[in-house]
Amino acid sequence: MRGRLQHVLSWNRWYPALLLLSVMGTAQAAPMGFKDSWMVMAENSASWQDISANYALTPRWAVGAGSTFMRSDDKAISRTLTEATATHLAKRWNMPEAQANVWLLGGVGSVSGNDFSGSRTMVTPGFQLDYETTRIYSAMTARFNRADGLNHDMLSLRAGFSFYEADYDEPQPWFIVEARRMNGLSEATEVTPMLRIIHKRYFLELGVNQKNEVRTNLMLNF
Amino acid sequence: MTKIFTFSSLVLALLSPLHAWSATSIKATVNGMVCAFCAQGIEKRLSQLDAAQTVFVDLKRKTVAVQIKEGQALDEKTIAHEITEAGYDVVKLERVNQSVQDIKAQLKK
Repeated sequence: MRGRLQHVLSWNRWYPALLLLSVMGTAQAAPMGFKDSWMVMAENSASWQDISANYALTPRWAVGAGSTFMRSDDKAISRTLTEATATHLAKRWNMPEAQANVWLLGGVGSVSGNDFSGSRTMVTPGFQLDYETTRIYSAMTARFNRADGLNHDMLSLRAGFSFYEADYDEPQPWFIVEARRMNGLSEATEVTPMLRIIHKRYFLELGVNQKNEVRTNLMLNF
Repeated sequence: MTKIFTFSSLVLALLSPLHAWSATSIKATVNGMVCAFCAQGIEKRLSQLDAAQTVFVDLKRKTVAVQIKEGQALDEKTIAHEITEAGYDVVKLERVNQSVQDIKAQLKK
């Protein structure tokens, strides 16, 4: 039964469909805010905790810092990364009923782990493609987390819909499903259905993955 | 006749200030405004303008409206610049003799 479940959830099985979905149109909340604004982001789950903040110097560039704790599924391996980050809006399409973006992400910092001594320099280049309307959301995010002897590349695919079209000053609930995989720490694809609430500058996601682990995402733009 | 003249003058005198107080707003049609979390940058940037009295954002109708403070000047270029800096594209701008409340009520009809 477990083997069958693993087969169903195996990355190779879902990758083409999820990739197609992401290409057709995916979006994640923007990883930076408007010019001269701060964006604070935090995620908490059993195997992943991070907190980061960035400041938008221009409409297309933000710089910041973040800290991430990652743990393997069997709890044997853990990593702590502290990094300086840069976020660049490479391309935006503003359409009458939709918006699509190409984001370039990058970071450089120090990673430590419980299976090696000292710390190593880690670089975390990546990108995000997203597409969003007032009712549909989709995003693909890839981060290539590399250090000497370490490869924790991460790929996340998200898709969902809002329950109704809300006015600007009303809270808007969404249903989002994310499939995420991280090389070298988890051999399983984590699938998390989430309830998302957006209310102006506040963004909250609450979900439970297939291992019954609770996950929380928070974003605040000010 | 004198009474009619006096009455007319009184009515005109009362109406003139009302006319002077009639609100002026700049209304923009904006592409890409799909999410309140992202679009709140528009509201924040426009609200910081000295001449802006009230700012209204309507995602469904892709509309942003700024009511100008009485006696102050605000041009369309400034509005377009602030919306563009917030990351969106302005496709239409118009100056209207309406308050934001009126525009809101009109759009909700």
